[in-house]
Amino acid sequence: MTPLKVDGLHTYYGKSHILQDVKIEVGEGELVALLGRNGAGKTTTLRSIVGLTPARSGSVTIFDRVTTDWPSYRIAALGVGYVPEGRRIFPNLTVEENLQVPLERPGPWTIQRVYDLFPRLKERRSNKGRQLSGGEQEMLAVGRALLLNPTLLLLDEPSQGLAPLIVRHMFEVIASMRKEGMSILLVEQNVRAAVAIADRVYVLDDGKVAYEGPAAEFAQDEERMRSLAGASSEAWEDFS
Amino acid sequence: MSQVILFNLLNGLIVGAFYALMALGLSLILNLSGVINFAHGGFLALGAYFAYSLAPITGFWIALVIAPLGAAIIGVAVERVLIRRLYGRDPLYSLLMTFGLAFIFQDGLKFIWGAQSVPYQIPSWLASPLSMDLFFLTGYRIFMIAVVAIAVGGLFLILGYTRLGIRIRAGTLDLDTVSVLGVNVRVLRSLNFGLGIYLAGLAGVLAAGMLGLAPTIGDQLIMPSFVAIIVGGLGSLPGTLVGGLLIGVVSGITSVYFSEATEAVIYVMMALILMVRPHGLFGDEGRLQ
Repeated sequence: MTPLKVDGLHTYYGKSHILQDVKIEVGEGELVALLGRNGAGKTTTLRSIVGLTPARSGSVTIFDRVTTDWPSYRIAALGVGYVPEGRRIFPNLTVEENLQVPLERPGPWTIQRVYDLFPRLKERRSNKGRQLSGGEQEMLAVGRALLLNPTLLLLDEPSQGLAPLIVRHMFEVIASMRKEGMSILLVEQNVRAAVAIADRVYVLDDGKVAYEGPAAEFAQDEERMRSLAGASSEAWEDFS
Repeated sequence: MSQVILFNLLNGLIVGAFYALMALGLSLILNLSGVINFAHGGFLALGAYFAYSLAPITGFWIALVIAPLGAAIIGVAVERVLIRRLYGRDPLYSLLMTFGLAFIFQDGLKFIWGAQSVPYQIPSWLASPLSMDLFFLTGYRIFMIAVVAIAVGGLFLILGYTRLGIRIRAGTLDLDTVSVLGVNVRVLRSLNFGLGIYLAGLAGVLAAGMLGLAPTIGDQLIMPSFVAIIVGGLGSLPGTLVGGLLIGVVSGITSVYFSEATEAVIYVMMALILMVRPHGLFGDEGRLQ
């Protein structure tokens, strides 16, 4: 069973044609990075996969089921965890309450285990979402997605606006999720960090797939990395 | 004189409690689904008539609990068949739909139970005054306030401590993200609608015991309930509760000194509060778009 197969996807916002014939695959246990400049269509791709911005044509197949027109909650119930852009923490709920929102799919993840992974969240358990720092919100968004016990995890810019030390921690967590057997699609502006942990890379440009290949190969191609992945590829220097 | 004030204060509190029950249900539905339910008064009447038909068979107490449940079940059916289709569209559609439903309810009730007002029997020990001095302080009035307090307390317990309640509160601000986390938001909205209608039905049963029962019983309650929501602040349930009690008490006291203004004072108060606090007493800026 292929965790994720996106084929010939065309997605619109009103009249603007955002995604044009996007084709992406994530194999079992694979960590795939989806890169590209701002506005290239990365977030829209994830939103189309999880049903928030359904595609107008093309197909999304998750674990061999065609989910293109499904509502988001049915897609999630298949075991698709999603960490949205900007984290979308519920600001009026406490940390603990935020963790009680997801569907309780059976699996190894419990609130206690999320607290073990992010002890900071346990300290902040009775604080409201709006009181959290960016790093804490990111931990909460990831923890919340894990409580669904996903087998496919979609992350939209988990490093956005975070201090380097926290970014490093996040990427370690993501890499460890893959080791647990999760298949992961990672959208990132932080190109070097993403390429360092990914198996394969897609680059979106203007709503189309402009590059597809193994991460190791992409890492060698400095020029392509700069030209396709945008200026932010230079922002990352000390990640190893 | 002090007896008159006390009497009207208590009356205001009771009326305010009805406003609050109505308004809390309206708020729940508005906050999660963006629907302004003009048919809410119809559901209130439906709960009351269910109790009227049930009480001779089951007795007063069971009718008090079951009749609102009957109204809630009808409410969920109406939500699933009609109102759900209008989610995410221009609010005008659901406004028209529920406005039409309100008329259908009223005529339906007349058709089944007649247009004439009918008495609703409450247990006689509840109907008698507690003391001669405070002749107006009947057991039923105390009982009504107690039931409303239990219902409101129960609602806040559900919202505060159950997964259902936590998800409803989360969905109030960001339903998409609740959905993406695997929660069936269609069912969530239906249950939330049913919860709101249960409160309306309960208000109906209680009101019937005090006012008697007519198909229009919900009419005089619905506009002040909207005012209660606005005074309390859109999106805030504690605000709605305070708003309902406040306008009930203020109009009750006004009736002592200037009885012609009993209804108008509600709107004057709303205008004054909005001038000072444009988002109501407990409203957060921009919580509801």
